[in-house]
Amino acid sequence: MKTRKLLRHRPDTGRHSIASALLTSCIIAATLSANPAYAAGTLAGTDIQNIASATFDTAGGPVTIQSNTVVIKVDELLDVTVASTDPGDVNTSPGATGNVQTFRITNTGNGNEAFGLTANVANGGDDFDPTLQQIVLDTNNNGVYDAGVDTVYTSGVNDPVIAPDQSVTVFVITATPAGVVDTNRANVSLNAVARTGTGTPGTSFAGAGQGGGDAVVGSTTAQATANGFLAVRATSVVLLKSATILDPFGGNRPVPGAVVTYSLVATVSGTGTMNNLVITDPIPAGSQYQAASITLEAAALTDAADADAGRFTGTSISVAAGNVPAGQTRTVTFKVLIP
Amino acid sequence: MMKALKTTFTALLALTGASSAFAATPLQLTSDVYVERQIQRADGTKTVTLEKPTMVTPGDNLVFVVKYKNVGTATANNFVVTNPLPAAVKFDGTSDGLEIVSVDGGKNWGILGTLRVAKPDGTTRPALRSDVTHLKWNLNQPLTVGAEGKLIFRGVVK
Repeated sequence: MKTRKLLRHRPDTGRHSIASALLTSCIIAATLSANPAYAAGTLAGTDIQNIASATFDTAGGPVTIQSNTVVIKVDELLDVTVASTDPGDVNTSPGATGNVQTFRITNTGNGNEAFGLTANVANGGDDFDPTLQQIVLDTNNNGVYDAGVDTVYTSGVNDPVIAPDQSVTVFVITATPAGVVDTNRANVSLNAVARTGTGTPGTSFAGAGQGGGDAVVGSTTAQATANGFLAVRATSVVLLKSATILDPFGGNRPVPGAVVTYSLVATVSGTGTMNNLVITDPIPAGSQYQAASITLEAAALTDAADADAGRFTGTSISVAAGNVPAGQTRTVTFKVLIP
Repeated sequence: MMKALKTTFTALLALTGASSAFAATPLQLTSDVYVERQIQRADGTKTVTLEKPTMVTPGDNLVFVVKYKNVGTATANNFVVTNPLPAAVKFDGTSDGLEIVSVDGGKNWGILGTLRVAKPDGTTRPALRSDVTHLKWNLNQPLTVGAEGKLIFRGVVK
């Protein structure tokens, strides 16, 4: 610490020092503008130049000298990450086409790099394999798949070239086979490889880097894969019919004059909601429909084709039960007379 | 190597337009940069070597060596060495800690721990190694004829 106190600041004087100061400031200005902060690191091809200067006093006055300049070029690091950007499983249904899964490819290297893309729909450990329809590049860069607007990807033809620290969004379009059932899942993966080359970290490709340097494989091995899942959301409905009889004598025998109350219980199962469930039942031959006897969930309905859900067509009853979530039931009743 | 260095040296002097005044250059100043490479040996141990690189990648550790020598016939006083840090290099310390630094392009100087950097909101924060733009050594002893030394600092390729 003793030496520290002895340190003196010596104001730069003399024309050589001014020349040196100018030279220094020029270097700073040039390098600052050419080297914005990149998370991926200094851009490939950038020269690192080091030069030291010294000033000292002689009998003839102050003198400034410069050292030699050492120049080192920054090589291109090949690095990439891929991520699924869907918030969760992408819903599909048996036989559906045009499932859209979204992936994001980020160039975490320090040079412009083209990436080859491969989608794999036949991964193990899942319930079914969809059919790959297309890989599509989000060419209008809005993050949303626009059929007919975004460009279909062809490997080796329009490999996306991504600048350092930049990303592209890619859509994988698939079709779901007809035979799948509710809760089946499919793993769809997207792989991106640096076209310059891949390998263990440190693998070098001489002269292949941006700016004329080498290209060196970084910690990501210059390729990356991400998985996304399709999940089948299917509902099914079971209809259970039962009858109770009330005869004119207070018993339950099917004799003329007896009234039969039919009960139809629709049970929705699976995942999601069954939309626009309509329950219909023909009036049994030889029986007479009892006017205004339709109920839905114990609420009476009219026979007319009107705003309420019930209707008698003359030969059958029909009740529009609406959208029914899985796990719920809807109960419809109506009455007929045995003549 | 030395021959090549001298050639560069002369050329630089010519650029300053003052070659005649330096006909007898009383001081030599040379700059070298090495990169640290970790090499894993067959037995699993790691060894660090310094090599002269022509190519580096972000994250590489660099060692800068500035050598000086009084090759003249008179003592040089108030000897000061300045090294602007290349923009692509983050300062990573010196071994002796005798340097002063600038974090504003060479306008103000001091020991790193005493400097502050203005934040966008008008307040300041302590300067960090990543803020350093220039290094300077004020050698407080006259550099006698034949005296030499070297200054070493480390950096990381951003």
